[in-house]
Amino acid sequence: MIKRVLMFLVMISAGFLFEGCKKGGSEILIGQWGPQTGPAALWGSVARGTDCYFKMINDEGGINGRKLKLLIRDDGYNPARTVTEVKKMVEGDKVFAFVGGVGTAPGMAVKEYLAQNKIPWVGPAAGSTHWAYPPTKYLFSVYPLYCIEAALLIDYAVKTLNLKKIAVFYQNDDYGKVGLYGAEVAMAKHGLKLVEKVSAEITDTDLSSHALKLKNSGAEVVLLWVLPKHGATILGTAAKTGFKTQFMTSSTLSDAELMFTITKGLWKDMIVCRFSELPNSDSPLMKKYREAWKKYAPTEKWSTFFQSGFLFAETLVEGLKRAGSDLTSENFVKAMESIKDLQGTGGKMTFGPNIRQGSNTGFLTKVVSATEEKKLTDWVTSDINIDEVIKKLK
Amino acid sequence: MDMKRSYYEDIQLLDSGTKKFWFGSLIIILLIIPFLIPGYYLHEVSYISINIIVAIGLNILVGYTGQVSLGHAGFFAIGAYAATLLVKHLPFFPFIFALIIAGLIAAAFGFILGLPSLRLEGPYLAIATLGFGMAIIQILGRFSVFGGRMGLSVPDIGFLNDLLYDSGLFTKTQSRDVNLYYIIMSITIIMALMARNLMKTRIGRAFIAIRDSDIAANSMGINLTKYKTLSFAVSAFYTGLAGGLYAFWMGFINPDSFDFILSILFLAMVVVGGLGSNIGPVLGAIIISFLNLNLQADSISAIPLLGDLLTVITENWMNKGGIASVSIIIFGLILIFIVLFEPLGLFGFWIRIKKYWKTWPF
Repeated sequence: MIKRVLMFLVMISAGFLFEGCKKGGSEILIGQWGPQTGPAALWGSVARGTDCYFKMINDEGGINGRKLKLLIRDDGYNPARTVTEVKKMVEGDKVFAFVGGVGTAPGMAVKEYLAQNKIPWVGPAAGSTHWAYPPTKYLFSVYPLYCIEAALLIDYAVKTLNLKKIAVFYQNDDYGKVGLYGAEVAMAKHGLKLVEKVSAEITDTDLSSHALKLKNSGAEVVLLWVLPKHGATILGTAAKTGFKTQFMTSSTLSDAELMFTITKGLWKDMIVCRFSELPNSDSPLMKKYREAWKKYAPTEKWSTFFQSGFLFAETLVEGLKRAGSDLTSENFVKAMESIKDLQGTGGKMTFGPNIRQGSNTGFLTKVVSATEEKKLTDWVTSDINIDEVIKKLK
Repeated sequence: MDMKRSYYEDIQLLDSGTKKFWFGSLIIILLIIPFLIPGYYLHEVSYISINIIVAIGLNILVGYTGQVSLGHAGFFAIGAYAATLLVKHLPFFPFIFALIIAGLIAAAFGFILGLPSLRLEGPYLAIATLGFGMAIIQILGRFSVFGGRMGLSVPDIGFLNDLLYDSGLFTKTQSRDVNLYYIIMSITIIMALMARNLMKTRIGRAFIAIRDSDIAANSMGINLTKYKTLSFAVSAFYTGLAGGLYAFWMGFINPDSFDFILSILFLAMVVVGGLGSNIGPVLGAIIISFLNLNLQADSISAIPLLGDLLTVITENWMNKGGIASVSIIIFGLILIFIVLFEPLGLFGFWIRIKKYWKTWPF
C-alpha cells in the first residue's frame, strides 16, 4: 500500500514539472506558422523570408530601439497542429502579433481564437475573402483577393486587347469561385457575359472534355483559376486538340520558371496578374531585399514565396514603427489604421477604421521565357464592388 | 496473480483492489490536471484523449475482431460533420445528444462498410476501407451543405464555460480549454470502460472467436454477418463520437483534415500500442498524437549532441526546411523501433513495468 501511495505522490509531483514560458524585455516577439514539412512544404519559404527580413531590420537598428524576434512553427499544413502551435505561442511564448501564416484552412482554424485574445495578425498568406469581409479589429489582410486579379485581367482583355469572348476555367472551390465571380462582375461592368465557364475538381486527372468545351465556346481569352498541375495539364490538352487562345492566370501560378518547365514551354505568352514586384525588379526596395537575402539566407532560393515573406512583414513593421515605444495591441491597431498609400514591394497599402483589406492593386505581365517576364501594365487598382462577389459566394 | 473464483468475478469491470485503487487515483489526477498545467498543454491533452477514443474503437475492430480498416478517418469525418451540422442548425440541441447522434450516423455507415467484410479479408478489406475513407472526403468536399472544400466553423459548446469563468480561477480562453477538457476526458473514460466491459460480454467473446478463426466461430453458432457488421458499427460509433469531439475541440473543420494519412495514423496507434489489449491502444494514441504535435524543429535541435549533429546535417545536405525535414523521419523511426523491439507494442512495455513493480523492490 505504501508503495502505491508513494507512486501516486511521485506522479503528482511530476505534474508540477511542466513549466516554461519566458518573456523578452527588449525584443518584440512575432509568431508565424507555416508548413516546413509535408506536402505543402514548398510554401515554408514564406516564413523564412520573413525571418530574413527581420534580420535586416534588426541590423538597421530594430524598431524604436527594440529587436524583432520571429518564432517559426511548423504545422505541416494541418489545422490541428496550427491550433496547438498558435496556442503555445500565444499563451506560452506570449507573442505580440502574428504575421503571414500559410493556408486558408490553418488560418481559419485560429482566426476566432486570435480575435478573442486580441492578438494582432497581419497578412495571412492566403487570398481568402474570410479575412477582411466582414472586417475584424485585429486582423489586417495584405494579400489581394483573387476576384481583384480576375477583374484586372478582364479589364485588360476587354479594353486593351479588345477581346470580348472570354471563358473561365476554374477549380470547384472557394479559390476558383472567387476568381470566377470576380470575372463575372467585371464582365457585367463592361456589359458582357462569359461565353463559357468550366469547372474542374481538384482530383480530376483527364481534362480533355474540359478543353473541348473551352474550344467549342470559341473563346478568345481563357482565364485559368486552377492550381499549377491543372494549369499545365489544360495547356497541354488544349495544344493537342489544336485550341489556340490567349490564356491568362492568377498570381497563384506566377512561378513562371516552374510552369515553363512542367509545360515544356507552352507557358510562353501567358498573361499573369501579380501582386508583388518581379523578382528581378530594379526598384530600390527590391535591390535592398536581394542584398539581405544574399547576406542572411544565401542558401535559400529567391522565389516568389520567399519574397512574399518580406511583403507580408513590411506592413507589420510599418505598423510597429508607428505604434511607438508604448506597444500595446490597441496602439498597434490605431497605428495600422493610420497607414495610407504605403508603397512597399506590393501594391499600395491603405487601412482605416473599417478597412481591413490593405490592397486592391496588381499589375500584369506577359511571360517571355522561363526567366523573363515583360511588364504589360503599371500598378492598377480595380474598381469592382467586392461586396457583389461576396454576395455571390454565399 | 489475480485469482478468480467465479464467473461473476471474472466479468467485473475492475476485478481487483489494486485496479480499483489505481483507477481511483487516475480519476483524481485527471480531475486536478487543469489546475496544474497551462491551457495550451491542456488543449493537447484533450486532443490526445480524442485520439484515445478512436484507438479504443479501432482496436475493437482490428485487435479483437481481426478485421483491418484503413478508412477510419472517414468515420471520424462523418462524426465531425454530423455533430457540427446538428449543433449549428439546431442550436437548442444539447451537444451531448448531437455527439451521440453523430456516433450513430457513423455507426450506420460502419454497418454498411461491414457488409463487404463478410467476403473480403486482409489486404482486400484494407483497400475497400481505404476507398471508403477517401470517398467520404470527396463527397464532403463537393456539397455546399458541408461547406465544400473551405470547411465549416464549429460553434462553441457552452456547458461549463461561464461557470468556470465566473469562478475567477480561469480566463476566458482558459475556461474554454478546461470546459472542453472535462467534457472530452469524461467521455473518454466512459468509452474506455464501455469497451472494457464489452470485451467481457458474449459479444466481445464472439468478436475474439471470429478473430482467431471465423470458420470455427461460425460452426460454434456465432452469426458472422451479425457480429462482423456489429464490430464495424461499434468501432465506427467510437470513431464518429471522437470526430464530433474533434470538431468542437478544433472549432473549424474541412475535408482535407481527414485525409487517408489520418486513417493510417489511427491504425498506427493501435498497432504500436498493442493489438487486442485494453491499455495498448491508449498508450499508442498517447505516444503517436504526442509525437505528431511535438516533434518540432526546436524540440529536436534541443536534444543534446544528436540535435546539433542533425542541425549540421540538415543544413548542409538537406532541403531548406532545415531540421524540420527530419522530424517526420524521426517519427517514422520511433514507430519502427517500437514495433521491432517490442512486438507486443507498448502493451509489452506495460506488462514488463507491471511485473517489475509487482515484485519491487526485489
